[in-house]
Amino acid sequence: MTYEHLIVERHGPVGWLINDRPEVRNAMNSAMRDEFADAWTELDEDPAVRVIVHTGNGRDFQTGVDVSELASDGIGMERYRQSMEDFDVHFTSWHQGVWKPVITAVNGICCGGGFHWVADADIVIAAGDAQFFDPHTSVGQVVAVEAIGLIKKMPVEAVMRMAFMGKYERMGAQRAYELGMISEIVDPPERLRERAQELGETIAKNSPAAMAATKKALWGALEAGLTDACKQGAEHLVSMWGHPDQTEGPKAFAERREPDWELLK
Amino acid sequence: MNHQTLEVHHDGPIGWLIFDRPESGNAIDAAMFTELEAAWRQLETDPKVKVIINTGNGNSFQTGLDVEQLANDPQALRSASRQTRDFTLRMTSWHCGVSKPVIAAVNGVCAGGGLHFVADADLVIASDSATFLDPHVSVGQVSAFESIGLLKKAPMEPVSRMALLGAHERLSALRARQLGIVSEVVPSAVLRQRATEMATAVAEHDSGLLRELKQMHWNALEVP
Repeated sequence: MTYEHLIVERHGPVGWLINDRPEVRNAMNSAMRDEFADAWTELDEDPAVRVIVHTGNGRDFQTGVDVSELASDGIGMERYRQSMEDFDVHFTSWHQGVWKPVITAVNGICCGGGFHWVADADIVIAAGDAQFFDPHTSVGQVVAVEAIGLIKKMPVEAVMRMAFMGKYERMGAQRAYELGMISEIVDPPERLRERAQELGETIAKNSPAAMAATKKALWGALEAGLTDACKQGAEHLVSMWGHPDQTEGPKAFAERREPDWELLK
Repeated sequence: MNHQTLEVHHDGPIGWLIFDRPESGNAIDAAMFTELEAAWRQLETDPKVKVIINTGNGNSFQTGLDVEQLANDPQALRSASRQTRDFTLRMTSWHCGVSKPVIAAVNGVCAGGGLHFVADADLVIASDSATFLDPHVSVGQVSAFESIGLLKKAPMEPVSRMALLGAHERLSALRARQLGIVSEVVPSAVLRQRATEMATAVAEHDSGLLRELKQMHWNALEVP
């Protein structure tokens, strides 16, 4: 599949999804939004892809919805409003039900709607010069879905501070790391993609089926209280019983070799 | 009560539950699987015990189910499987409904199922030699209860990272403290002493009040 606003690449077991509108800091217009849905699905359905890395071309990772398009083209605005109202959206891996591990690698600025891909990834790493802020309120908009996603995953005060301070304050990579919003800072910043690839290849050594079931258990836990989350987690755990990887894993370990996992179907 | 795989005793108001299979990283074999429930019940029902400290002998805190040993004991394996499937496990204080405060003192490696005891404790401290990892997915297993418990109590991204990197990365004690998974890191030599000081302070409080507080905090985690 070819894309106008995204680049999809494969490097070994790692699939790459790269925002490619650097001239507008990778802001998302209508066409890009539709392409996201296809790109996530394409990488998810490719059995050779075991891990997905998402990053941006140019100086910045993502700066949210392309407001200039929304404002000038009456159709785009109406369509966006309707899809958010119905929460019928398809631009992140979580929206698309991708159960492969997803690493977001934040280069430069991630602001506003850019947080969708921070909240919805499994692992987030950032270049040392990355900056995070949420300008919604400074332009008379309400931040909702992406902030809710973050609140479920990290200390709430920091998320509210970004929402309330709007464009008047930025959070650096170091603070994001301290808060557990990201788990790694890459310096020098130019090494970000190299490190993301390395991390992806390491994760690709693990059982694809076991990781998919683990992801389902973890994301499911955000929808439920502790005991219910554990009961649902048990279903995902048990779903692996009898899977060839469950014997291959310990066998490879005993024989001191790399496991030969089943590919996801 | 005598246990084969655990050291259980009390010293004044402090009850101790110590994993005691140091030669196997304190992994849970069939015997420990059964003894854990009995040990928690023993400490819960002993009126002299007000606070419980959970730690391990040797270099490891706890490294999860001893799958190899369990495989040789079909009956124990069946029982463990059933309890996993139905989520009726009786390994941790939370599983067993212990109402007294529990302090986990992580003395070394805490891997896989060992994370149950971190997620399910009320307070957690660690020695500077402690490390945390979740190797499940590296051996074709799913990480569920341990990660779910942790992500309800700490930032999720580092928990997801630990679950998906499996055996290939470890979280240090200092990073675990930054993230609020543990609240204090001390030199190995003084870990038990520090846990004792904390337990002594906690035990100064009214037992009924502590029980209510504990229940209130854990109930709060039951809201989606």
